[in-house]
Amino acid sequence: MSSSDPNKLISKADKLTKLSLTRWSADWKSATLLYEQAANGFRVSKDYEKAKLAFEKASKGQEMLASPWDAAKHMESAAALAKELRNWTEVIDFYRRASELYMQCDRPQPASDSLAKAARALEDALPDDAVQLYTDACVILEDDGKEQMAFDLYRAAASIYVKLEKFTDAATFLLRLGLAADKCNARNSQCKAYLSAIIVYLYAHDLKQAEKCYNDCSQIDAFLRSDQNRCASKLLSAYTEGDVEEIKRVAQSSTISNLDNVIIKLARKLPTGDVAELKEEAAKGEEEALDENDLT
Amino acid sequence: MTVIDILFRVDEICKKYDKYDPEKQREANAFLDDAFPRLYSLVEADIEKALAKSDKVSTEKNRAAAVALSAEIRRIKARLMEEVPKLQKLAKKKVKGLSKEDHETRFDIVLALPDRIKAIPDGSTAAASQSGGWGTSSSNKKIKFDSSEERLGSDFYQQTEESDQFRQEYEMRKMKQDEGLDVISEGLDTLKNIALDMNEEIDRQVPLMDEIETKVDKTTSDIRKNNVRLKKTITQIRSSRNFCIDIILLCIILGIAFYLYK
Repeated sequence: MSSSDPNKLISKADKLTKLSLTRWSADWKSATLLYEQAANGFRVSKDYEKAKLAFEKASKGQEMLASPWDAAKHMESAAALAKELRNWTEVIDFYRRASELYMQCDRPQPASDSLAKAARALEDALPDDAVQLYTDACVILEDDGKEQMAFDLYRAAASIYVKLEKFTDAATFLLRLGLAADKCNARNSQCKAYLSAIIVYLYAHDLKQAEKCYNDCSQIDAFLRSDQNRCASKLLSAYTEGDVEEIKRVAQSSTISNLDNVIIKLARKLPTGDVAELKEEAAKGEEEALDENDLT
Repeated sequence: MTVIDILFRVDEICKKYDKYDPEKQREANAFLDDAFPRLYSLVEADIEKALAKSDKVSTEKNRAAAVALSAEIRRIKARLMEEVPKLQKLAKKKVKGLSKEDHETRFDIVLALPDRIKAIPDGSTAAASQSGGWGTSSSNKKIKFDSSEERLGSDFYQQTEESDQFRQEYEMRKMKQDEGLDVISEGLDTLKNIALDMNEEIDRQVPLMDEIETKVDKTTSDIRKNNVRLKKTITQIRSSRNFCIDIILLCIILGIAFYLYK
């Protein structure tokens, strides 16, 4: 049966589903079966467009048969084929639909998985949408209480932001990662996340933000006691002293080499801009304070 | 006969016929009358021994052995310094048969003795620089351990060549050890990071394993239930009554077939 022409199978299945005078109710069961076979046939013959269509119809059939799980699976296959065709809007649509169906089955993990797959597919083409998808995936997991799975997603989202040079957003994401890690008691990931956030701020040449971030993180006990804390304090003190050699040396240290690849690349490129002018700014700020005192 | 054997035999023969040696007789006789030469020769012998030991110290590689030898030399020196006042007294005594010049020379050599004794190197010059203050208080000869100022001059340089090398070697070894320790610490850092990541990963797997466990438990109970039902159905189908009925019908059919064929 499956060896026969997939086109014929599709037309047959269509006939089964179309309501007409002779047919009062659509026979979804056999139709879905035929659709599935047709889709496999198309996939084998590498006719992606038709295969995608067939998978869509098969998924609809499964929905009608009240099995959202199979429907979601077919949607995912359709989306994978859409990715091959580089039809990005369809990719997003299909993966979102698949995730909704998974949620209907009360299975949040595959739901977030499908969103993550979508985001990964879109990373190069539509990075903003990709980030949105990653965020949604993380939200689903957090609602379910499974933050640990979200770590990878947060990291990927942060790296996309870094690529887009939106450093504040990247740092925000890393801090959210730290929060998630805190909930699961994953101290190492948490401290690494905070250190990465500080490095991102420094790369954006925003010393004040970095220091603020460092102060915030120092409130947290786990971070205070960790290696990453010492590394961060060394880095910040090197910045305030304007010591380029020290910055480079800290960036080469093993604590930083244990972080994410993207962050390591940023760290090695430190210091960006003129460290001396940062020192001057800091000194000027202090002087201005003194002047105010003199006036009063 | 080897050379060594010859030497030994000669030594034994000499010892045997020592009593016929006129020079030795004279010495022995001389010492019977005069205590001074006797004591002086003993002191000289001790000084020679001490000098030989100090030579050994300078060539000794093992630091502990060198320190032990130096301590021995110091002991010998202290003893000799005690003997010196005795010698001085003996030198002053009038001895018959001794000319005035001899007398004076005796006195002079006794005076020269303390300097000679002090000049024996005993490896304590490093400590002497720290305890330079002690060297000045020379009133109590018996307790003097460390060298005087002049010793600092001559022996000081000799020692620093060795100690210089030693110090250099020590510094180099320390540097090498530091490098090795740095490498080890980096490796340990990496290991620590890997171990922590593994820890977190395993923590992540724990709830998944729990889910798998519940699901598998549910599945096994379902399968068991199904098995029981299947068994019931099969036994119903294959109940003995049906079986007997099947056999009887089969026999009847065979009988009919046989009859028809016949």
